[in-house]
Amino acid sequence: MYDICIIGSGAGGSPIAYELSNAGFKVVVLEKGALYDETTFNKDELAVSRRDMFTPPLWEQKHIINEYSQSGKFTRYDGEESGWSFWNGSMVGGSSNLMSGYFHRMKPADFELLSSYGEVKGANVVDWCISYDELEPYYDKVEKVIGVSGNVVEHDFQEPRSTPNFPYPMLETNGVTKWFDAACETLEFTPVPTPRAVLSQNALGRNGCYYSNFCGSYGCESGAKGSARAALLQKCKAKVITDAFVYRLDSKEGRVTKAHYYTKHGIPHTINAKIFVLAAQAIESSRLLLNSKNDAFPNGMANSSGELGKNLIFSAGGSGSGRFIFENLTKEQRETLMQPGLFFNRSLQDWYDYTDGCHIYKGGTIDFLFEHQNIISRVNRELYDENGNIMWGEKLAEKIEKRVTTSRVLTFEVFNDWLPTDNCNVAVDEEETDKYGVPVGVINLNSHPQDLEVGEHLAQKAVAVLEAMGAVEIDYSISGSPPPNLVAGGCRFGNDAKTSVLDKNCKAHDLENLYVTDASFMPTGGSVPYTWTIYANSFRVADVIKEELMRDSSHS
Amino acid sequence: MQSLLKRRNFLKAGFLSSAVILTSGCDIFGVTTSRDTIKILQNDLFPKAKDLGINTADYITIVYRQHKIAKRDKEFLKNGVKWLNETAIEMFKQTYTKLSSLQRQEVLREIVTTQWGESWIDTMLRYIMEASLGDPIYGGNNRQAGWKWLDFEGGKPRPKKVYL
Repeated sequence: MYDICIIGSGAGGSPIAYELSNAGFKVVVLEKGALYDETTFNKDELAVSRRDMFTPPLWEQKHIINEYSQSGKFTRYDGEESGWSFWNGSMVGGSSNLMSGYFHRMKPADFELLSSYGEVKGANVVDWCISYDELEPYYDKVEKVIGVSGNVVEHDFQEPRSTPNFPYPMLETNGVTKWFDAACETLEFTPVPTPRAVLSQNALGRNGCYYSNFCGSYGCESGAKGSARAALLQKCKAKVITDAFVYRLDSKEGRVTKAHYYTKHGIPHTINAKIFVLAAQAIESSRLLLNSKNDAFPNGMANSSGELGKNLIFSAGGSGSGRFIFENLTKEQRETLMQPGLFFNRSLQDWYDYTDGCHIYKGGTIDFLFEHQNIISRVNRELYDENGNIMWGEKLAEKIEKRVTTSRVLTFEVFNDWLPTDNCNVAVDEEETDKYGVPVGVINLNSHPQDLEVGEHLAQKAVAVLEAMGAVEIDYSISGSPPPNLVAGGCRFGNDAKTSVLDKNCKAHDLENLYVTDASFMPTGGSVPYTWTIYANSFRVADVIKEELMRDSSHS
Repeated sequence: MQSLLKRRNFLKAGFLSSAVILTSGCDIFGVTTSRDTIKILQNDLFPKAKDLGINTADYITIVYRQHKIAKRDKEFLKNGVKWLNETAIEMFKQTYTKLSSLQRQEVLREIVTTQWGESWIDTMLRYIMEASLGDPIYGGNNRQAGWKWLDFEGGKPRPKKVYL
């Protein structure tokens, strides 16, 4: 029997695998996807981006999506028919292989959203049951073990740190960042170098970044990117079983006893372990528990509170862009603009909270980055003229050539809180099943009006920067459309077993040996991408589990 | 063995080489193959590919083999060939392949006013761009001509084997 069985090999599960196997415990990780690593990653746009090679086809595995309007009515979308996918990286290391690695810590006030900003009508805002101070040592650990590069710049919302600076220096940046910094100075904004989970130099037994120009969406073949696979699973002795889709957990007398999984060909297997850790990414973790009903848990495992699947959240906000065109630039500026490979890496957090009228709003983060280098995607954005008519022939070719070779797009992404609401949650469908015959997940989506107001406020600040830099064609979109790769909640942690699924250590209130360590535990998400917090929390829970197993070992 | 391989390749390329029979009422108005239609159509939509020495028509064979492209998308591609030719017959009593360049442009301007037509041309252009700018390992983007045209270096490392 294994000491620990971990379901999911991404950022939520791998810190447990790393810590516990390095402490001498017998660990098995069940991963639905395949193994890809530094020897097999490449920059094949057709395979990776156009054909989504790391996610399952929707006709084999889909979700049902109900999109709620503010009136409470909803529109149902079949994932297969609509092409609406919530899958991310189905592979060893999960979507952390494919992240851009924009790493921001949550701020102290994010842990006390209710206390700091008060109730929001129509939203289920609560404080976390742990504080920033309790997580800080683990944020610090992530900097060192996963590898975070950056440079601390003092600003109004700089979170407290136990070390003065990042362990790895900033990655090299494009000269256009100087235009950005100058614009910010004029506007009295504070530019912050974006911390990245990308090694700027050889370290930790991994190679430093080689500036491939293709970071987000692609696996990293130098190992510089701090994926759960490169940074953790390849540095420990945990056994990883690939092609293992866990479809049900069994429990008896308050303990999980078995995990059942299918291979991709439908061959069933079971795993026994003393402790089970679920980290299949927020939607799938709730789905698995909801599909694991038994006599003790008729509404889904660990669901005596009725809170399982509830309060699903995403990162709210949106994105925008501006274009720099050769006609407006000197020769030197053109050369700077078109420098290949180097990062942009600038963020703004001046409005992490802000006052509007007499109300203090929780704001968020704006990250700036160059448009992704994917050439087919860039060209496809040029297929229509300014009136929205499709183009073809010589005119189309001329337009593409001019746009791609004599201009470059700087984009921005806004991250603000997606307020948890009653109509945003995970359920399972009573009729639709996936290729394994397992009920598919139902994703109920609802965005709170305040999410859009805050996003709009932040986007306007980003627009001001782009204008001051001399960009043209500035545009943005703030919407309630959820980014599928920035998802959390569904298994809230809390001190009250009647209102939360997990306790403060992310152990199910209802079961002695079940932990959930992906982003499911998060009651609110902060106004930053989640990955750093997922890693940090998982390292925190790893210490709890380690202590428990060591205590058991010393007793036996 | 050789004949088996030939047959398999034929089956793989079946959609492209099989006849598209076009009728109006009981009369057969024309017979063409999808390959002929697509070859001419793609040159009408994006002649730059030919200038660059890139064969975009054969890429459609790969599209038809690709398991990550939904069956209904493949069907749409196939039906579009038929509908394009039907429109050509309606307008000029000839299949698309037998029309003059000016007539073909008229047909394109006509179908683009329909929902299917605009969507189909959009789809076809996206596959043309994939053929022109995808990694040369897939048989398009001959000698990286598409990348050179746009001063694009291509991401490294490049794939060592085809996924599609």
